[in-house]
Amino acid sequence: MAQTAELVLERVAATAGDIAAINLESARQRSWNRFWRAPEQPGIAELIVEQEQLTAQFTGDLAAFDRLEMLANDLAQREPESVRSALVAAQVACSTHRFAHARQSLAVAVVRGASAEVTDRLALTIDQATGTDLSIVLAARRERSTRPGHWQERIPLGALLADLGDFAEAERTYLHALRTYPDVSPFSLAWVSFQLGVLWGESATVLQPERAAKWYRTAIDYLPGYVKARVHLAEICLDQGHATEARALLEPVLASGDPEVAWRLGDIAQAVGDSAEAMLQLAAARTGFESLLAIHPLAFADHGAEFYLGSGDDPARALELARLNLANRPTLRAFEQACSAAQAAGDANAAARLRREASERWGSTAAFRISSLARI
Amino acid sequence: MSDHIDGPRSIGDPSIDTTDLFTFMSPENPARTVFAADVFPSAGSSAVFSDAANHAIVARRVTVAGLGDAAKFQPGEREIRFSFRFDRLEAQPGAKPIQRGTCTLPGGQTLRFVVNDERGATTPDGTIRVFAGLRSDPFNLAWLVGALKPFQNLLEHDNVLCFLVDVDTKRVLDPAEGSLFGVIAETTPAPAASALVGHPPRRFDWVGRPEQTNVRLNNAHLGPVDDLRDLWNQQTPFAIAPEAAPLFRKRLLDSLHQYDMSDGKEDWPPAQLAASANVFLDDFQLIDVAKPTTDTSYLEIEKSTLNGRPYQTGGGRTLNALDIDMLLTWLVNRDREPLHGGAKQATQLGRTTFPYLAPPNTELQTVVESVAVDAPADKVWALIGPFGAMWHPLIAQIRLTGTGAGQLRTVETIDGKTIIERLDSTDNARRQYRYSGVTGMGASNYTGLLEVAPKGSGSTLTWRVQYLSDGQPTIIIKTIVATLQKVGLESLKKRFG
Repeated sequence: MAQTAELVLERVAATAGDIAAINLESARQRSWNRFWRAPEQPGIAELIVEQEQLTAQFTGDLAAFDRLEMLANDLAQREPESVRSALVAAQVACSTHRFAHARQSLAVAVVRGASAEVTDRLALTIDQATGTDLSIVLAARRERSTRPGHWQERIPLGALLADLGDFAEAERTYLHALRTYPDVSPFSLAWVSFQLGVLWGESATVLQPERAAKWYRTAIDYLPGYVKARVHLAEICLDQGHATEARALLEPVLASGDPEVAWRLGDIAQAVGDSAEAMLQLAAARTGFESLLAIHPLAFADHGAEFYLGSGDDPARALELARLNLANRPTLRAFEQACSAAQAAGDANAAARLRREASERWGSTAAFRISSLARI
Repeated sequence: MSDHIDGPRSIGDPSIDTTDLFTFMSPENPARTVFAADVFPSAGSSAVFSDAANHAIVARRVTVAGLGDAAKFQPGEREIRFSFRFDRLEAQPGAKPIQRGTCTLPGGQTLRFVVNDERGATTPDGTIRVFAGLRSDPFNLAWLVGALKPFQNLLEHDNVLCFLVDVDTKRVLDPAEGSLFGVIAETTPAPAASALVGHPPRRFDWVGRPEQTNVRLNNAHLGPVDDLRDLWNQQTPFAIAPEAAPLFRKRLLDSLHQYDMSDGKEDWPPAQLAASANVFLDDFQLIDVAKPTTDTSYLEIEKSTLNGRPYQTGGGRTLNALDIDMLLTWLVNRDREPLHGGAKQATQLGRTTFPYLAPPNTELQTVVESVAVDAPADKVWALIGPFGAMWHPLIAQIRLTGTGAGQLRTVETIDGKTIIERLDSTDNARRQYRYSGVTGMGASNYTGLLEVAPKGSGSTLTWRVQYLSDGQPTIIIKTIVATLQKVGLESLKKRFG
């Protein structure tokens, strides 16, 4: 892979992460005020969707999903027949992984005359997230990523390539994105760096934790409050026996409310023998996950399953959530998780059935051949 | 909007989005000229400048090179450039972090300043004074431009980040050498010490005359056409790329024609329309620094020149000019009949003293809570719809005075507070009522909305409160309001399931 090219890649100039985070929050709050004052103002609802999605993705403020739901409900009531109420409903449903609802709303938006540029983009996102017609999605992503002004398309293209098992091209795509970045906002740079961390830390055939850690650190350098990057890096640090560093990464973002932070702090406490603290943190994580699952079950089903498969230590709940996720989006990754959960829950029949179904759906793909399902 | 959010790229980092440029004779001292530029549309109260961009105001001397259908403003080669750079935030013990900046003046001299310090910074001889910080947005966008429909000011209460220079006209601009100037503001990538990689754009955004991008180049009535705004934003001001110029000229021509015909009357014959497109293609703000600028002199230089006669005023663009009204009137009916937007002024008028733009508006706070319950909307509304209904567990007593809109309710809370609220309207069909605070909340402009909407077989209750802090810290009022809302809605959840 392109390690040489990666090594010479320097930090891209960008607005400092603390400034960008302050400005995002500032703009987000202002947009809501403008919306409440004049909800019919063109573009304001769409801007809020974008800002809330950024907030959820990068700051760990998961209440952003609640606010998005509120926005979609409000618009549906104000403008039951408008294009934008249908589009926002589709975007919000997609953000919270309610993909069937997202497709319905998207179809309504198309009937109401939404622009093909917007609906095509969202349809691609849904198809990619649900593992639908991925060869068509890949071709479309490739084509769109070459269009002028569509730099952002390179990130989902890289993610799709990684999902399909083409790790070398996924990496090239991400590195190319970093080299050609046309903006100064650090959010996208942090995102690409995070994706490279995931590529080396979780997806690649031969995992390289050091390399993944380097990219997670880069993501945090761009955006110090990037909760997910801190969580993933803390996991690596803990695996390598650096509990103090892992804790230092997580404690500053505990207030975000993301239950993954408490989960990993619980793991750290467990690793250093502080059982009381571990119990406290894991209980907080469990409460956090269940609160999120009560409101947005599909958005957090896979994360919840992962938690209960690990320190949450409830394989039956993990299987329940993994099945929910699989029914919502039968991706290869969802099959892998559901199968692991079935095995952990001691349900060998279910595990075998899931392997069979996965093989039927994904058996002909390169990704399946290198997946854990093919090795069993 | 003038140049607010004028391209997909701007959304990534709004602090590099140049929203406006104003050029005017100082109302404080007619011997001085002010150039003020804004970035970050709808900036919240905590907004700060990007440390990764150069922010510049650039002026070039311009000559009138043609009149009437040959109208042309020819910029000279020499630039008078004021470049602003902003530092990273500096932590302050027990206080908000501060940001400092540096302005590099045309002669290479630098001025250090603190962002939001209204005194700004001044050269030792007083020739140049600079300011940067959060201010009230002086732009009055009282139109739904796509529909050409007057509307409330869409930027009401909005703030922007402003950077401005106030110069001694004679010493800095030397009007004896030619007093007509073209001015632009731009944001460009700041060179990083670690060296840039890849191919950063030469420019993030720039602005000359207001509404070049959002009104003239991105006219929604032209149907499904390419969005040229990002391409425009990357052009070099005063030197649009020759290969791109025909594309922009064609778009301007189509757009101006559409505006002209939007009232069903042709006021712009083809040759004059083409001349107008050419003038707008040379996108810089014109100001004659030897003549006064007024709130009505905006575009006068262009208009007179297109009409084949010498201009009379300093042109420019003052903070209180109703420029969107003036622009639309010019485009739609060529000043045959004035068009008026839905608001007569921006949130705050510009000031007559440095730094001229009004202080930032207090942020209108919004606290919203909602809950879904397993009961039909009508059933829930029957309980909570009456203004004097006793359903909230934190309320000990309610007394009503009067009836209908204007009715007052005096609320005694269980911890002994008294709050008086006035019913503004009730809409039983939509199951909502609106009310406003009279006393008791330590806030002004306090308004509330309680609403029940059907959702499946159940319903959703939404309770929204907005206010301006007045006498108490925002966070305290927010906590009180949020607690009232949460406890009230949770009680309904328990009651209805």
